[in-house]
Amino acid sequence: MAKKRGFMEPFNWKRELRLFPGYLLLSVWILFTIVLLGWVVAASFSTTKAIFSGHVLSQGIHFENYAKAWNNSNVSAIFFNSLMYSVISCTLLVLICAPAAYVLSRFRFAGNKMIQTSLVSAMGVPVVMIVLPLFSLIAGMNVLNNYIANKAVLIFLYVGINVPYTTIFLLTFFANISRAYEEAAAIDGCPPMRAFWLIMFPMAQSGIITVTIFNFINIWNEYFISLIFANSDRVRPVAVGLYSMINSMKYTGDWSGMFASVIIVFLPTFILYIFLSEKIIAGITGGGVKG
Amino acid sequence: MKKNKTMIAVFLTPAVLMFVLVFLYPILRTILMSFFKIEGITDSMTKWQFTGFANYSKLASTSLFRISMWNLFRIWLIGGLVVMSLALLFAVILTSGIRFKSFFKAMIYLPNVVSAVALATMWLQYVYSPKFGLLKNVFSAMGLKYLSKVQWLDNDHKFMALLVAYCFGMVGYHMLIFASGIERIGEDYYEAATLDGANKVNQFRYITLPLLKGVFKTNITMWSVTSVGFFVWSQLFSTVTADTQTITPMVYMYMMIFGAGNSMTERNAGLGAAIGVLLSICVVAVFLLCNKLIKEDDLEF
Repeated sequence: MAKKRGFMEPFNWKRELRLFPGYLLLSVWILFTIVLLGWVVAASFSTTKAIFSGHVLSQGIHFENYAKAWNNSNVSAIFFNSLMYSVISCTLLVLICAPAAYVLSRFRFAGNKMIQTSLVSAMGVPVVMIVLPLFSLIAGMNVLNNYIANKAVLIFLYVGINVPYTTIFLLTFFANISRAYEEAAAIDGCPPMRAFWLIMFPMAQSGIITVTIFNFINIWNEYFISLIFANSDRVRPVAVGLYSMINSMKYTGDWSGMFASVIIVFLPTFILYIFLSEKIIAGITGGGVKG
Repeated sequence: MKKNKTMIAVFLTPAVLMFVLVFLYPILRTILMSFFKIEGITDSMTKWQFTGFANYSKLASTSLFRISMWNLFRIWLIGGLVVMSLALLFAVILTSGIRFKSFFKAMIYLPNVVSAVALATMWLQYVYSPKFGLLKNVFSAMGLKYLSKVQWLDNDHKFMALLVAYCFGMVGYHMLIFASGIERIGEDYYEAATLDGANKVNQFRYITLPLLKGVFKTNITMWSVTSVGFFVWSQLFSTVTADTQTITPMVYMYMMIFGAGNSMTERNAGLGAAIGVLLSICVVAVFLLCNKLIKEDDLEF
């Protein structure tokens, strides 16, 4: 167990044979994942008739499913909504949480411990516990009828909900950076706030990137808050939009379009994952406690 | 240190403000709301009627809510046992020195980054499909006629179908937490044990498991927090409003407050708040119970 292995360890038949049940089990699990995803991808390129005949792709490859889903059924709108929400919220989160995490990790002051404890406990608070007052507050301000205000509300909520996790995650990164850098900056006459943005912020880059990937995935896939606060088709993000689209496509019988929409929603986080899976996995097991 | 005071204030204010607005204030207000009868959710506090614990006793006597709590409990317990066992098993396999470790890890974690709506749709429309479904094809290829004809999404099987699909997506995350816990255990323990003649099973029983206590606590707490928010999967798997097979407290709350259909006669935001408080108490109770039952010895390792 926990054995460190060299990259090019010679092939050892006895050893590999002993590990065979393990290989088998993992392979079956992964095979299922591949079949599941592969079939849905194949179905998204097939005609509805081919899907129902049980032989996907039997009537050739149909790229127009994607064109149809993208243009006719709102997919482009919800896609760009989600892209906008995720990018803006992730940026705001870093700008808000990185300074807070830095201050919490560096300075001793009254309330520091309390703030940290509150943030950690907030990560375990179920959404049902906060959603009603937020709704009455926001609906009471009568902003949900204006679509620009509605978008701003969604971004505000995405940011707010992820503040505790982002701050706690970045805290450990700043704690690990040596104080010598700030001291040197102070001796050179750099005021501490500038020193943070010019020196510490760039040094925490790897942590900031990791937490941003998590935030992006979380916000992209967020469902409950969007369901309650996104008031019209115009402001809906992908998860909620996809749900209503699936329901309507079941009635119109456009199964290939439905699978194409599923793939379009699935693709951004999947591509991110292909390139960054090592970083994501290291981030889960290293710093944070949330996926 | 005096100069730093402004810096602390400036750097901390936005995050603390967000925390107060999105967590602290709503939490306190939800607790308060749960003791009142509130007809419209946007009603001002002057219109609230204090009813004490009436909301809680009302929930306790509502059969649909009790069913939803029972469903949640089953998801938490059965799903938890299945997910934790699989996650631990996979973590042990992954750390036993197999090849392609990072590939396996990445593939098993993959469902966690996919939108739950997309993932649930894949299960519903493909795996469980009675016309061209994966299960149907696999079972008929194996010659299991009876199994290939099972309607996986009918009332008798829906709950299990939902649970299996949900667990499939959750294993990866908990597996990673277990795996990192195992990797932190020093190799010398196992070497010493091997020299003393302990076999792999005993090494797992007497070294790995005791040293994973803290990791178990993390995993159980995280599992409880995510279970309590069980919503999307339930909404996608239910075919009618107020589907007794799949309803969870959060779905119940959503139907009651944000009105889907007219299956609910009474509109009372206070009831919704009481559900929030009850679920939070469940999470805290599990957390405290874990801390009590799983005593972490001050082992240095």
